[in-house]
Amino acid sequence: MPQPTQFDVIIIGSGAGGAPIAHTLVNAGKSVLMIDKGPLLRPQDDDPLGLSDYKRDELMSDGPEKRLTIPGLANTGASFYTSHVEPDLNDEPHIYRKDGSGDLATIEGYTCQCVGGGTQHYGGVSLRFSATDLRLRSFNQGRTDVRNDPDGVVAREARDWPISYDDLEPYYSKAEKLVGINGTRENQAKRASEDNYQTPLPPNPISEYARVGMVALGMKPYRTPQAVITQDHAPSGRTVGRLGQLPWDGGPKTAYVNRYGDPLDFKSNTWVSLLRPISRKPNFALWPNCNVTHLESTGARVTTVSVRDPSGRPRSVAGKVVVVACSAIESVRLLMLSAERSADFSGRIHQNDLLGKYFLTHCFGGASAVMPGRFDKSLTVDSDWATDFCGSEEFIRANGLWAGATIYNNTSDQALPIALARTHGAADLDTLWHGFNNDFSVVGDRFAGFLNNEFNRRLSVSFMANQVPQKTNRIELHPTVRDKWGRRVAYIIKNWHPHDQFLMDTIAARCRDVLAFGGDNGGGHYPVEGFGGVYLSENALARIANHILGGARFGADEADSVLDKNCRAWHFDNLYVADGAFMPTSGSGNPTLTIQANAFRVGDALLQSGLI
Amino acid sequence: MPTIVPRDDLYVLNHCARSLARDNTDARHDYGQYAAGDTRARIAEAWRFPIVDSYFDGRSYDDSYAFNTVTFVYAIEDDRAHDVAVIGTFADLVTPIPLRPVADSVYRSVSVAVPKGQVHRYRFLVDGRSVLDPINPQRTTNPDGTEWSRFFTQFCTQIVSFERWEIALLTRLTDHILPFRTVQAQRFLNLYLNGLDRASKDLQYARAYRFDQPIGVVNFIDKIVAREESHRLIDYKICLELIDRVLRRRNPFEEPAHMPAAMYADLYDQMADENVPEWDRSRYGSPRFFLQLLRRHTYTGAFSHPKYGGNAGAAGWAYLSYNLKDPLTGALPDPAAQSTAFDWSRALEKPLGRNPEYHG
Repeated sequence: MPQPTQFDVIIIGSGAGGAPIAHTLVNAGKSVLMIDKGPLLRPQDDDPLGLSDYKRDELMSDGPEKRLTIPGLANTGASFYTSHVEPDLNDEPHIYRKDGSGDLATIEGYTCQCVGGGTQHYGGVSLRFSATDLRLRSFNQGRTDVRNDPDGVVAREARDWPISYDDLEPYYSKAEKLVGINGTRENQAKRASEDNYQTPLPPNPISEYARVGMVALGMKPYRTPQAVITQDHAPSGRTVGRLGQLPWDGGPKTAYVNRYGDPLDFKSNTWVSLLRPISRKPNFALWPNCNVTHLESTGARVTTVSVRDPSGRPRSVAGKVVVVACSAIESVRLLMLSAERSADFSGRIHQNDLLGKYFLTHCFGGASAVMPGRFDKSLTVDSDWATDFCGSEEFIRANGLWAGATIYNNTSDQALPIALARTHGAADLDTLWHGFNNDFSVVGDRFAGFLNNEFNRRLSVSFMANQVPQKTNRIELHPTVRDKWGRRVAYIIKNWHPHDQFLMDTIAARCRDVLAFGGDNGGGHYPVEGFGGVYLSENALARIANHILGGARFGADEADSVLDKNCRAWHFDNLYVADGAFMPTSGSGNPTLTIQANAFRVGDALLQSGLI
Repeated sequence: MPTIVPRDDLYVLNHCARSLARDNTDARHDYGQYAAGDTRARIAEAWRFPIVDSYFDGRSYDDSYAFNTVTFVYAIEDDRAHDVAVIGTFADLVTPIPLRPVADSVYRSVSVAVPKGQVHRYRFLVDGRSVLDPINPQRTTNPDGTEWSRFFTQFCTQIVSFERWEIALLTRLTDHILPFRTVQAQRFLNLYLNGLDRASKDLQYARAYRFDQPIGVVNFIDKIVAREESHRLIDYKICLELIDRVLRRRNPFEEPAHMPAAMYADLYDQMADENVPEWDRSRYGSPRFFLQLLRRHTYTGAFSHPKYGGNAGAAGWAYLSYNLKDPLTGALPDPAAQSTAFDWSRALEKPLGRNPEYHG
């Protein structure tokens, strides 16, 4: 590790928010230090011995049992199972409170403490948000047809983003080009100035049911955009060559993609696409395995970043600009912990009462069914078909909704045997082992029957939709629970609004229809045994969410936001927040591509800021 | 002497920071596996040490597959210079192998090549003084009474946790759960395992098969309660003893391991219902809880990567490939077909699988 020195920019976190900024600034000749709490796990090609730190190994992702030992929580003593890159819940939990549930230690799905962050383990679904998503206040003004909103929360709390889709659009195109996304543009409702998609791989045959269902329902399908490199990718230098072109060779289609780091780096996570290409430049430094404990400021300038090195020893380092991009909850927590140590820092970051407020996840859910045929789902990427049908303003109004949704099918769910049992009987993908362990009748012949009925026959169709912003949904510091450094951990209080539940019921029924029409070739009568929104599931207790957003929303009015239009904290000159925390609304699609696009935008703003 | 493997500093730090770097000294990671005051209870996932990982000899990944890289780590707790070395049965037991300083850190480390399928004991020499590994939870007592730290490599089939009678009982219990009892499944597995080439047999299931276990699941459980889930060893020790006692009370004239399948089926159902009249609840409160544990371990052992000691010869995966019927036609896949319901080997490393790029 280099000695403490002055960098132009220090970026905390190397995922979807931090990496595009590093990529932009390093290529512009600025000196950048990137710090990540987690290891730099190397795919095979980056390892000196050609051995990947990521493995095609279900037990690496579905870790062994541990037990929660933190005293005084509602789930103290409970079993938990974390992957090799998820934080240990006894060391670094998030505490989640929902009405009636008490305090639960938990972690969000797809949390990855490693270089690349969540983009290492994500399925790679890279949807754009719609133009409507960015102007939900304007869209809902004066409406009287929004259902299940008795107190008028939607009209009061919906916010327009301080930038329009047209402002963001060039950065979507840039992200799609530099990250390396495959997909198809035809049938997408979202306007694109460039088609930078790589060619998608042939879909898994089981996805045909979803496509047929979508077509039967008038939902125009397109190939789900995904961060998987399928062709030689000039911006990152990742070449594919012949591998993956033939169905029997070892290309990117394996079930070890969603929820796995990719040993062969086909997945275009931020390490592969954005950081590795700049990693040998002299003006870029990367400190993995280093935990930032707090920031220190003098007046309106953050001057010092305090770090624990890989041995746990304190260090400090200075930069002209500090970018916080540790994922929404941890970024808000870092700002709050820094404020606890300094009245001046506190006065600036708490210039209004909004830091931590309007925490957002997604309304999500879907439907799942055992399909008529059996297909080898291990030959898959995460998703094959998507549709914007439920995102049009016409659809939203006709259904009394406040915002729209994107629907797409999942092919990788339960594609491997341990994942099948681990999620058996669960309404979602995260309620671990509960169903199988308690289904005591599944033994012997019935076990064989279970595998015959379920394995490689299940197809799920999911939706992703905006959650109604509520000020009471918030991130705080927990009063008593502390992490392994003695720092207070994040405390998340979150409940669903009645309209969220209405929206989830509405869109989940559409997902059910896709399978009901797809399963019997357009007849609409194929049995679908499970559908609903996440609010119905056990998982709503076990995990907060997969997507964590908001808590430091950006806006044009400093009285109504934590960050300005360029994601700089109001009342600071040089402090930026660049992960999903900036979002005032959570969008109708998986958030990663939007976080990346916004971060490229922030990178350009930094170059024009005069600060560096 | 074993081959020293040139693993770089980053590799070592990647494993250390998360588990070892901390201020907190609570016993946060004690789920019942440690005695009071044991400092290893401070360490997250202490079982990861020493690090057992893939190996490459610089020439051939296929040849290298017979070995693991084992990386020992020792953390210096003060600022003074120390000489740290390791001795163990993986080498000649007397020649110290020095641990090198990991740049700008408190850690010392050395990586060595060790054949797969082995169990070894070792101690550190710190300034010449012999000490147990202060991180690794696995320990073993030598016949001479000395205590040693222990590790085992992948594909290990040497039993480390259970007695012979416990293995026999577990074999019957897991056999009741697993789907391999049907005539068709038995025939398939026998053909499949006999069809493996000699090298695969040696590597993947030589000893497990001799135990006559359903595809190595008991061996998997033996390993997971020795390492990742050592806090669950006590559950097995108590419950196997109670199960043995219950079965003997029901039939005093036969060894439990030889009792008819119906005895196990009845007991299984009673355990699921929390209704085993002879069960000593003062020793273990919930037989149902033990059954949940056993179900998870049984399933996992049957279908996880064979390096963990179960799924012998990948027979569990092969079962999924060739024994699930086409729901539209009712037909089983053609045994000669490359394309099956589950082409697991396409993604996995050679020689276990057939991926042309991935080395495991």
